[in-house]
Amino acid sequence: MSQLLFKNRRPNHTVLLDEYRQNGGYQGLEKALRELQPAQIRDEVKASGLRGRGGAGFSTGLKWSFFPFDAPGDKYLVCNGDEMEPGTFKDRALLEADPHQLVEGMVLSAYALNITTGYIFLRYAYDQCYANLQRAIAEAKQAGLLGRNILGSDFSFELHVHRSAGRYICGEETALLNGLEGKRPNPRSKPPFPAIKGLFAKPTVLNNIETLANIPHIVNGGAQWFSDLALTEEGAGTKLYGLAGHLNNRGCVELPMGVTIGELVEEHGGGVWQGRKFKACLPGGASTPYLTAAHLDVAMDYVPLEAVKTRLGTGGLVVFDDQTCMVAATLNLMRFFARESCGWCTPCRDGLPMVCWVLEKIESGQGTVDDVAMLRELLGHINGRSFCALALGAMGPVDGLLRLFEEEVLDHVKKGRCPLPRNSSLKES
Amino acid sequence: MAELLSAEEIIELKGQIAAVHEPRELIIEVLQAVQKSHGWVPDAGVKLAAELLGLSPLQVDEVATFYDKIYRSPVGRKVIHVCDSICCWTRGTELVYRHLQQVLGIVPGETTSDGCFTLLPTCCLGACDKSPAMRIGDRLYGELTVERVNTILADERQETEA
Amino acid sequence: MPTLIIDNQSVTVPEGTNVLEAAQQLGIVVPHFCYHEALGAVGACRLCAMLFIDGPVKGMQMSCMVEAKDGMVVSTEAPEAVAYRGQVIEWLMLNHPHDCPVCDEGGECQLQDMTVASGHSVRRYTGKKRTYLNQDLGPFIHHEMNRCIQCYRCVRTYQDYCGGTDYGVLGSNQRLYFGRFQDGPLESPFAGNLIDLCPTGVLTNKPYRFTSRFWDLQEAPSVCPHCSLGCATIPGARFRELQRVRSGNNPEINGCFICDRGRFGYDYVNHSDRPRTPLLHGEEIPWNEALETLLQRLTKLIECHGSDSIALLGSGRASLEANYLLQRLSEQLGSAAPVYGSHAGRDRAARAATTLPTELSASLADVRNSDLILLTGADPLAEGPMLALAIRQAVRNGGRVMICDPRPVELPCSTEYLACQPQELLQLLSALSLGETLPTKLQPLVEALQLAQRPVLIGGGDLLGAEGTTALLAAAQKLNSEDRSCLAMVLLPEANSFGAALLAADGPDFEQLLADMASGRIKALVCLEADPLTDCPDRQQLLQGLEQLDFLAVFDHLPSLIAAKADLLLPTTALAEGAGTLINNEGRMQAFAPVFSPGQPLRITSQGNHPPRSFSTTTPGALPCQAWALLAKLCDLPVDLAKIRRELATQEPRLAGLPDLLAEGSGQRIQSADKPLSQPHALITEQVDALQLLACETLYGSEVLSAHSSPLDPVRPQPYLLLHELDADRLGIAAGDLVRLSAGEIQLTLPAQLSDRMAAGVVIVPHLRRTELESFYPGQPSQPCRVEKVSAL
Repeated sequence: MSQLLFKNRRPNHTVLLDEYRQNGGYQGLEKALRELQPAQIRDEVKASGLRGRGGAGFSTGLKWSFFPFDAPGDKYLVCNGDEMEPGTFKDRALLEADPHQLVEGMVLSAYALNITTGYIFLRYAYDQCYANLQRAIAEAKQAGLLGRNILGSDFSFELHVHRSAGRYICGEETALLNGLEGKRPNPRSKPPFPAIKGLFAKPTVLNNIETLANIPHIVNGGAQWFSDLALTEEGAGTKLYGLAGHLNNRGCVELPMGVTIGELVEEHGGGVWQGRKFKACLPGGASTPYLTAAHLDVAMDYVPLEAVKTRLGTGGLVVFDDQTCMVAATLNLMRFFARESCGWCTPCRDGLPMVCWVLEKIESGQGTVDDVAMLRELLGHINGRSFCALALGAMGPVDGLLRLFEEEVLDHVKKGRCPLPRNSSLKES
Repeated sequence: MAELLSAEEIIELKGQIAAVHEPRELIIEVLQAVQKSHGWVPDAGVKLAAELLGLSPLQVDEVATFYDKIYRSPVGRKVIHVCDSICCWTRGTELVYRHLQQVLGIVPGETTSDGCFTLLPTCCLGACDKSPAMRIGDRLYGELTVERVNTILADERQETEA
Repeated sequence: MPTLIIDNQSVTVPEGTNVLEAAQQLGIVVPHFCYHEALGAVGACRLCAMLFIDGPVKGMQMSCMVEAKDGMVVSTEAPEAVAYRGQVIEWLMLNHPHDCPVCDEGGECQLQDMTVASGHSVRRYTGKKRTYLNQDLGPFIHHEMNRCIQCYRCVRTYQDYCGGTDYGVLGSNQRLYFGRFQDGPLESPFAGNLIDLCPTGVLTNKPYRFTSRFWDLQEAPSVCPHCSLGCATIPGARFRELQRVRSGNNPEINGCFICDRGRFGYDYVNHSDRPRTPLLHGEEIPWNEALETLLQRLTKLIECHGSDSIALLGSGRASLEANYLLQRLSEQLGSAAPVYGSHAGRDRAARAATTLPTELSASLADVRNSDLILLTGADPLAEGPMLALAIRQAVRNGGRVMICDPRPVELPCSTEYLACQPQELLQLLSALSLGETLPTKLQPLVEALQLAQRPVLIGGGDLLGAEGTTALLAAAQKLNSEDRSCLAMVLLPEANSFGAALLAADGPDFEQLLADMASGRIKALVCLEADPLTDCPDRQQLLQGLEQLDFLAVFDHLPSLIAAKADLLLPTTALAEGAGTLINNEGRMQAFAPVFSPGQPLRITSQGNHPPRSFSTTTPGALPCQAWALLAKLCDLPVDLAKIRRELATQEPRLAGLPDLLAEGSGQRIQSADKPLSQPHALITEQVDALQLLACETLYGSEVLSAHSSPLDPVRPQPYLLLHELDADRLGIAAGDLVRLSAGEIQLTLPAQLSDRMAAGVVIVPHLRRTELESFYPGQPSQPCRVEKVSAL
């Protein structure tokens, strides 16, 4: 099986510069600076079919194509490392194992885009990742792989790491830019898009850690090779999948793009814990609508998941066993989103707490049929009508709940209590 | 409140501030420096940060109060952040949280009477593979059970007393 | 110019207009909170949702965030849009208290209106509401955070538009707090705008609290009388009391904002010592007797001493019409033309300002649109506060501001400051106007002026005087070309200084009048809303002159010093109690309408009790009359404002538009003078060694009307003296030290303030009325002084 991002990964071990180089690290950069024009890298990335790994799944090549790389003046490359989507820890796993991939990926991307300054926006709580990055950057600088005149070429690139103080909204790219600038991280209105007016009002490219870490591999292996790694026709590359929730084996694995949910659950996740049955999952983090046992053969790739009304998101699979109350699970998710709302727009700031309130009412057995109707109404009113995508994502689980578990919701109303057994050991009695 | 930051720390921060685009980029860094030395950020800390950054205290506080990991109220010597997001929830974080409240004798947001621990929730810590998880200070603890929580608390308490 | 269809009506709008504004142009009421014409669209409240049926964007969109484009078909009434807006209202109302009956905003609350309009009448949410502790935001604004709907308008007003840094938004998610870092008075002199901008009852007018409901107020479009800019205001009165002022909207001048001096300076109207009855030697007399007495006394004196024994004194406080009728009175009496203004220097500067061709005169809108603003001897926050806000908008749009001044001119935006001696200002302006080379230190200025596309030169009449003002105007004319316009603006002391100066033309000034009074030639003086005792710099000579008068008549509504000395006191109405016209500093005529009729405020007559316990057929204190009406009667003219305006427009062709003026409009520029601007001559300045004392206006405390307004009591500064740090060093003075200031006859002990942003060798004192600094007049050349340390802080 082809491992790119995790090929050097071993438990409790961080790859340092020497080891990284011994295993082919920075060869992509050497090659690029020696023989590739920036445009060739951009073309290669576009042809590779790489899509953003941070959640939205936008084509990286296309995103880059909007960037005015030949504009005069300052331009920035920003790495979005605000990994805060519940169920997602892939970037942590990557930086804990092999941080130079990100550094090399950023230098290559900056070279391809004619950028001389980069920032890594790293979330709170990733202390080891921060230390690893600091060390990797220092090593790279020392070795002439970062900083002025990289590898003796004309190309220079400065890289800074910014640590956040905890807020999910910072993962929204324009909120992240405000955060980096030391402003309140409310999202900005788009247009203008960051490619035109981003950090310090200058053209800016933002990419996720995993996305950027793939760039050296694409430069090394070529677009076609990268694209062929995927199991699906339309997919490309590998993916870092997270395995969490009610699974026997949890963790982060690198597999070809397009592996099925069933394979992830059974082969890599060791099956559902405590001998229970698979009831549902969030395929790609907290903001992706649920799937049920009927979807176990769906490929974990952008297009197939969209076909079943959900999203690949971050690829963080969260599994729920058959004793889980989906109303309670949704309530937990909604509380997260309500608390992480930045407070800028009404549907998110005030709509999400109202959704929480209705779900609490239903879960506690106080709900009525009208409340379920109200929940549906709220879903319709919040979906797509908020300022940024946070509330849209937040409504993913509610959408899934009402689409796939409507009977379970109504059962709460009918019985006047949560119909799920109390013995899951996970619920308040 | 000169002791909020040492003279060396202030010189260091001033150097960093001089090197960036706009001083306000370093609001969080300065506040975290204050928090590191003082445990939390009192009003005087906001004022000090404002002075260093050439901003008004309100401008600093607008950013400080946005983030839940900048403490603008007094906290204990160690802050326990229990993750209450979905993966930890599937693995019993509610039990852990309730147990913590019982053994510490406090509700979320409170500090133990000996000033040792403050208990707070947090959103996802990115430790979903080790859930349920919590952070005490800079340490991450995963795979929590009631028994493990007791041991951890004992060790952490011992450390603060040492 | 895109054309689009909204609710089946077609509308064509300028490029860049958003769909919300396009709908408003059609007269469609679009519910909204966060959008504001002056603050723009930010898409936060989500209330202006419309259904886009056809065109480049489709589906439900926030109309404020969508630029109008050709081919758009939009519905505001589509059921989805109506339902969604209802939902937004329900969300906003989740935590909002049901306290409309006791809320100060009740009746003029946008949230109330929108909630009723959306049909949200049943509360589905039965959970807990979040509540807040309020802050003390100082004397002007009351804080009630529970009512907040998080539209962010206050922050955008306070920080973005006004440049304040001490009020903002704290917290996140549903736990936002709009307030200060700690309790305390809001620092921005434009903080009062929060009252107008907050769409619900979070930020309300503190002095106005518990006085009236909006619907009980008498309101009318008016003009602010507290400086020469002429901002549009809407005063509100009830119970014979002016209770508040809110901003009007004049896009050419103030837009939707006013300063706190304008907002809270109104209370002079309610002053308990205000003259309210015609008095002859302190005895009440009926109006007809008063007017007869006046005419008789004047006629008699003319008979005995000749027509030049009578002097009439108009002012920049009195309306254009009243000032004009004073001229008519002089003609009728055969006396000399009236003198306009009790401060000859200011009068001359204002007259110089009136010579500017209209097309070179800058409005505040021009300032907002400028890319380079050069301030020479102008301190906007003191001399015309809203100019400071206009300059800030220019900076926000990428403009540059250069300040040449001896004072530490502070503005709520980034500026480039160059300390200049007062005489250097004149040198600079005359060099600019003559195209001469400037000293090296002013070289950056020359370069900036060359690059600028829309420069505006701004000067203050007080520091520049007539000579400097002439030079400023000539400089603008010199720098103006076909390729790019260069405009000029001069700040004048009073709301109608320009109008008074225009009427003064080549007539006598107060210095001549003083001389004539001193010589004993003048036997009678008639003051029209003028108080030479507080405005004339030469008080000694004035007092001597007054001694020699046989008769002093005063028309005024202020309890002024001269009114106290009057043989005949004729109480006039305040601006809000009458109609008339003012001409602002750019030469814009603006009409104001009567808000209410004069009368002793109920608060005073009923001594706090309400309703009154005694009744009468007359209104107490209702005798004050409009000055122009009294003068019309004296001149035996019909008491008809329209007729007077027509006559005035015929007399003075520059006022051609006067008869068509509406109080509701944005005013009208006067016509340019037909004679060319006078050219300044090259200036040679002498080197001065002694410290030079300069008296200057301040934001609060200098302007005479607001000096009588009690809501401003808490913010008026205490006397102080300002020194350059270098001079202070030399004299061994530290900040806060008590120092003795000796200038001419006067010796005063004052606390010292120090600054490094001012001209060295200059000592600055604020002109603070009703304090010991009252006798230091702005608009005078600086005078040598000495400063010695008395004691340390």
